[in-house]
Amino acid sequence: MKLKVPKTERRKSNDSKGRQIAKRVISFLVVLVLLAAVGLHLFRLFSGNENLRFGDDFVSRLMSPLQTGFAGIVDWAVDRLYELKLQSRLELEYNNLRQENEQLVYRAMLADELQYRLSVYENLYDEISVNESMNPLVATVIGRESGNYFSVFTINKGSDDGVQDFMAVTMDGALVGYTYNVTPATSLVRTIIDSEASIAGLISSTRDQGTVRGTLGVDGSAMCRMYYLPEDHLPRPGDMVVTSGVGMSFPKGIPIGKVKESTRGMESNKQYIVVEPQADFQHVEYVIVLRYQPVAGDVEERASSNVSLSYTPLVTSPPVPTIQIGSDFYQLAPTPEPTPTPGPSISPAPGETLPADMITPAPAVTNPGSNSYEYQIPDGAMTDNSYGFTLAPTDTPTPTPPPLDMTVEEDE
Amino acid sequence: MFGRTIKIALFTLLTYLLQATTAQYISIADVAPNIALAFIAIVSVACGRKYTFVMSLTIGYLMEIMLTMLNYINLILYPVAAMLGAFVFSDKSERKLEELRSREKSTRQLNPHIRTPLCAFLSICVLEGFHLIYVNITGVQLDNGHLGRAAIDVVYTTMLAAVCQFPVRAWLGIYRQKKEQQQQE
Repeated sequence: MKLKVPKTERRKSNDSKGRQIAKRVISFLVVLVLLAAVGLHLFRLFSGNENLRFGDDFVSRLMSPLQTGFAGIVDWAVDRLYELKLQSRLELEYNNLRQENEQLVYRAMLADELQYRLSVYENLYDEISVNESMNPLVATVIGRESGNYFSVFTINKGSDDGVQDFMAVTMDGALVGYTYNVTPATSLVRTIIDSEASIAGLISSTRDQGTVRGTLGVDGSAMCRMYYLPEDHLPRPGDMVVTSGVGMSFPKGIPIGKVKESTRGMESNKQYIVVEPQADFQHVEYVIVLRYQPVAGDVEERASSNVSLSYTPLVTSPPVPTIQIGSDFYQLAPTPEPTPTPGPSISPAPGETLPADMITPAPAVTNPGSNSYEYQIPDGAMTDNSYGFTLAPTDTPTPTPPPLDMTVEEDE
Repeated sequence: MFGRTIKIALFTLLTYLLQATTAQYISIADVAPNIALAFIAIVSVACGRKYTFVMSLTIGYLMEIMLTMLNYINLILYPVAAMLGAFVFSDKSERKLEELRSREKSTRQLNPHIRTPLCAFLSICVLEGFHLIYVNITGVQLDNGHLGRAAIDVVYTTMLAAVCQFPVRAWLGIYRQKKEQQQQE
């Protein structure tokens, strides 16, 4: 069996004495050359003899290409490292900017959502503050069922919150529907475009009353029709339709929509007009339930006081000569004597007092939300585009002009 | 036969080239480390004073010729600083150890991995101290900026020697040699 000799032992045995001498001689020569070069350099510096520069020049010529090549390699490596660093930094900055951009987009979306909610809440607050007497309650839509024939949604308020059946539900100052199937925690709301919905309404300009019904189940359109209008009046397109307060316990004056088509008189078989609802049924998120319950005392008070249900007289048309057919052909009937109308109220000059009978009583200032029993549209909603209409302000009483002094010449 | 000598020669050349071309790229706070003294310190602890002298003299001479800032400075300073560190921290010779044993003194030496950065620290302190003194003698008022840059150079060079000693010692075959010696014992 062959024994393994350690490597050091083998090296020692191979390292013969002659080699050791050669190694020492070469090392000595290297050191000698080095010392000679250094000494020559020092001697040149001390003596100032530039002729002794050949040693330094030789070393310099030997080292210059080597150093140049090495410097080139180092510069190349440094450039590559710098590029890598720049690339990684650019990538890092790109990723940071991208992440920041995503965060900003998210924040912008969140801000838009919050701004939208704020506007919704502001509208709700305005509507609630104006109609405090209606005992309003803000509810959130938690479910909806919009089929081809019915339009019903569920709100998160029920009888525990005072909600009862057939209470008006509004949104953005417009009637959405009414409650039914009220449970302690939730309520169903049947919208006015539902075919089953039937609400008493009136044309705000002519005060003609009728019944508004949904048409979703009739022709599939999210419209309403108004039936049972008087035969002798034809509403104009654009006329406002509001609740009349008749029938269900709805407050009076809640906007329902605008008259879209009024061709009832032109088509003999058409007994209705088409009303375009004002509420946006596609974006119902928050609604207001008007927990308004008319009680006998309120009705009596409303009847006895002229606070909110103050009659607004229509503008009296001036007398027009009428032609009487019969006794005198082509003879103009004598113009009736103008009845003496009470003198217009004259605004007194500053410091002047008028008799008591000449002073027109100032219209009572209605305080919406306190004693009013008629639905008040919030001011903010008047400018809201979602309403799509602007109610005309109440006319201030103006002095009626005195009757014209007309004289009719009599035939002699 | 000449394995280690050739390696030391190549390492000396590499050290000079690194000092001349690369040191500026790895500066910290605009202070470049002294790669030459750091590598000389590694060789001092690993290979002894003779190699230290030849290496430091060669590098000093090359720097004197190729990167002349002041006459004599590099040529004198590098061997002086390196040999000072080598005298203190290089391995003691067998003769020295025997002498210590005869005097009944401790022959225990620090771990070479600790002695290497200490050797570099001593060498670079000598070099930086000389530079500061020279600058002060020429009329420049020393301030915290000078001292701060010198301190950074000292720390950086010491750390560089502490980090680079492992691959250099492995390349020079020091670990293999130690292992063989342990096997023999």
